[in-house]
Amino acid sequence: MTEQELLFGLRHGEESAFKELVTRFQDKVFNTALGLLQHHTEAEDIAQEVFIQVYRSIQNFKGESLLSTWIYRITVTKSLDHLRSKKRKKRFGFLSSLFGDNNIPLYEPEDFNHPGVLQEKKEDAAILFKVIDLLPENQRTAFILNKVEDLSYREIAAILNTTESAVDSLLQRAKGNLRKKLNELPP
Amino acid sequence: MQHKFSQKRIESIMTSLGGIQPAVAPDFFYTRLKGKMQPAAEKKTIFLLRPAFVTATLAVLFIVNVISLLQTDKAAKPDSTAVYNINSKPATIESFAAAYNMNNTSVYE
Repeated sequence: MTEQELLFGLRHGEESAFKELVTRFQDKVFNTALGLLQHHTEAEDIAQEVFIQVYRSIQNFKGESLLSTWIYRITVTKSLDHLRSKKRKKRFGFLSSLFGDNNIPLYEPEDFNHPGVLQEKKEDAAILFKVIDLLPENQRTAFILNKVEDLSYREIAAILNTTESAVDSLLQRAKGNLRKKLNELPP
Repeated sequence: MQHKFSQKRIESIMTSLGGIQPAVAPDFFYTRLKGKMQPAAEKKTIFLLRPAFVTATLAVLFIVNVISLLQTDKAAKPDSTAVYNINSKPATIESFAAAYNMNNTSVYE
């Protein structure tokens, strides 16, 4: 099924077209969400929300970009929204623990292990994901799309609605910040 | 100042995502997705069957019934303070029939 046929089917509410879309993109959407959220269950929830959003707003898709670019964009937006809401809850959780009976933080982040990382690199990758979590949103997104989803600068530029040189700059800054944060970690 | 990681280790950490394989969506992803996408109408029906909604509806109906019963009871009681009007007649079947032009007349008359 070509992209045009897929779009035609989706716009006419054909279930077979929707199933084909999900089959074609579910791994890409899930992998991107997982890289950004670093949590399996949350990544699955967000991936489902992405496809629901695609199903509901397919009539608004003008075809100015590739379908994959549009879906990646929705995935990034939804993942970042989720992270922001999680951070708000985290702050609230911290306050609750301050005023609660015990001083145990309610949200203790666990080490994230991406299932696709080579066995011998798992420990290092877990440390890297921890510091990726500290990057600003745009640097983190560019880094994950490039390193985890293996997208080209051109694809990332299309998703983030920017230029390839801006993506290059984001990635350089991300790497610099990651090194800096790894250096700053206490022994 | 002492650091947690040596420069060599930092390089190793920085390149740890090399050769990463993309994660695969969980099994039955599509089935779960379809479950989440159940039609709004179905959700509305589920809302109508929620215990809170059912209890609230029954409570409202009960209150309306009680109020109407009390009102009927009050209306049925003779008003002892009312002045008896000599012109007023007690309502009989005949007066009711007369009021609605339902007198016992034959079409042959």
